[in-house]
Amino acid sequence: MRQLLFGMPTRWQALVCLALLTFLSVDPALADHEHSSGEFEIFVAAESLTGSGQPQPHDDDSWLNADIIFGLTHDQFRVFGEYFITAQEHDLERFQVGYELVPDTMVWLGRFHQPASAWNTEHHHGRYLQTAITRPSIEDWEDEEGLIPQHITGLLVESRRQLGSEAGIQFSGGAGAAPALSRDDYKPITLVGDNPGRHGVSLTARLAFLPEYAGTSSAGLLWGHDQVFTRRLVASSDLRSSHIGLGVYGAYADWTVDAWRLIGAAYYVDIQLDHPARDESFLSGYLQAERQLPHRLTAFGRVEGSARMQESSYVSLFDDHSADVDVTLRRQAVGLRWDYARRQALSIELDHVVSLDRPANEARLQWSAAIP
Amino acid sequence: MKPMAKAISLLSVSLVLLFGVAAPAFAGEELVLIVSSHSTIDRLDSPLVRRLFLGLTVTQNGTRLRPVLNETDPHIKELFLQNVVSMSDRTYDRYVLRMTLLQGKTQPAAYDNSADLISAVAADPSIVGYAWAKDVVHDPRIRTLRVLWQE
Repeated sequence: MRQLLFGMPTRWQALVCLALLTFLSVDPALADHEHSSGEFEIFVAAESLTGSGQPQPHDDDSWLNADIIFGLTHDQFRVFGEYFITAQEHDLERFQVGYELVPDTMVWLGRFHQPASAWNTEHHHGRYLQTAITRPSIEDWEDEEGLIPQHITGLLVESRRQLGSEAGIQFSGGAGAAPALSRDDYKPITLVGDNPGRHGVSLTARLAFLPEYAGTSSAGLLWGHDQVFTRRLVASSDLRSSHIGLGVYGAYADWTVDAWRLIGAAYYVDIQLDHPARDESFLSGYLQAERQLPHRLTAFGRVEGSARMQESSYVSLFDDHSADVDVTLRRQAVGLRWDYARRQALSIELDHVVSLDRPANEARLQWSAAIP
Repeated sequence: MKPMAKAISLLSVSLVLLFGVAAPAFAGEELVLIVSSHSTIDRLDSPLVRRLFLGLTVTQNGTRLRPVLNETDPHIKELFLQNVVSMSDRTYDRYVLRMTLLQGKTQPAAYDNSADLISAVAADPSIVGYAWAKDVVHDPRIRTLRVLWQE
C-alpha cells in the first residue's frame, strides 16, 4: 500500500515538494539578475460556528484553514498555484502555467476557477480578502455541494484592454473539462489523484467594464455552459438523465464608492436533462453592502435569494436529507470586521438561513490573516 | 506694561521656536521617480506609474518594468500612497495581496534602507523606484524621470 501525504501518490509528493522548495528558495540576487521573481503567501483563518437548526459545518467552516499561494514569474512566463488545507480536506485548487502574450493578456493552461463566478474569481479560497465570513450559497465550491461547477481544467485566457483615457474592459474565457456529477456533488478533475467518470466540456466567460483600468470596481456579464455526465447510477436515476447541459447566464457588479462597496450578482441557471426530454431552471442572486468605518472597522450585510430552486430535481440531488448538507434558498447576513493589525482581522457574522429542509440561525467568529 | 511686553516677546519667541522645531524636516524636498542611468526609459506618465505600482504590466522599449517600494521613511510612504497610487495604506496593501491571489503576481520589493534601494535601482535598468531628490541628485548611477511631489 502506498504511503499518502495529503492523499497524494508518492510521485506527486516529490514533485510538489520540489516545486515548493524551488519557489521558496529563489535567491533574490539571482532573481534580480535573471528577472525572475517568486511569490509565496499564506491566507490563514480560524473560525468558530454556533447556532440553531443548521446542518453540520461545511468544509468552508472548518475551524482552521490555510490557503497557500505560490507563484513564479520569469519574463512573460508565470507558474501559479493555490493549495487549500483544512482539517477535513487538502487539495491543489488551482495550478496554472501561463504566458503573457501582450501586457495584461495572459493565456493559462491548467486547473482554474471558472470566470463566470463573480465571487470566486475575486476571492478564491483565501478568507482574509473576503470581508464577510461566508460566501453566497450559489458560489459554493463543488465539495460543499455547490450547484455550479467551479474548477475547470483546460485553457484560460484573461485580458484587460484600455477603454478611453481611464476606463478598461476585461475579458476572461475558459474552455476545458467540467466536473463529473456523483451522487450528491460535483467531482472536478484533480491534478494529484484519480479522475473516475466522464468529464464533459465546459465553456465559461466574463465580460466586464472597469471604470478605472487599474481600479477595483467592475461590472459585467457572465456566461457558462457545462456538459455534465453523472458518475453514479443513483444520480442518473434521481435525475432520470445521465447527461446534463448546464447553462449559466448572469450579471454582476463589484463597485466601490468612497467608503462604500457593493457586490451583487444574479444568475439564471438553465438545466437541460436529456431523458426524458425536459428542462428546468432556477434563479439565484445576492447583494452585499460594505461600509468602512473609523478605527479600521467594516460593517457588512448580505441578502441572498432564489426562485424555483424547490421545484428542481437537479437542486434536490444536492440536498442530503440526513442533514449533513442542506441547499440554501435564502439568507440574510450581517457582520462586522475589525482590521486590528496589519494583515490580521477579526470578524463576526450573524446569519438567518432558509434551506430546502429547515430554517437556521448561525453565528460565526473568525480570525483571518495574510502571512507574511 | 513692561512685564506684559516681556511676556508677549517671550511668547512670540516660543511660538517661533515651536513652529521652527515642528516644521517638517523635508521642507524644500522633492520626491522623484528614479531609474538606472543605463535605463532606456525616457518618460513615464502618471497613469503608467500608477499601473506599475498596482501590479499591472508596464513595458517601455521592450523592457518589462519592475517597481520597488521605498519604505525608508514614513513620510515617503505617505506621499507615495497619496501621489502615486491614490489609495490608503490599507487599501493598497489589500490591492497588492489581491493581485497575488488572483494571478500569483509578485508584490513589489520593499526597501527600508535608502542606500540599498538606490543600489538596486542602479544595478537593474528595468527597475523603477522613488526617493528624495537630495539622495540621488549627485549619484551618476541614477537618472531622475520626474518629480512626484515637491514641498
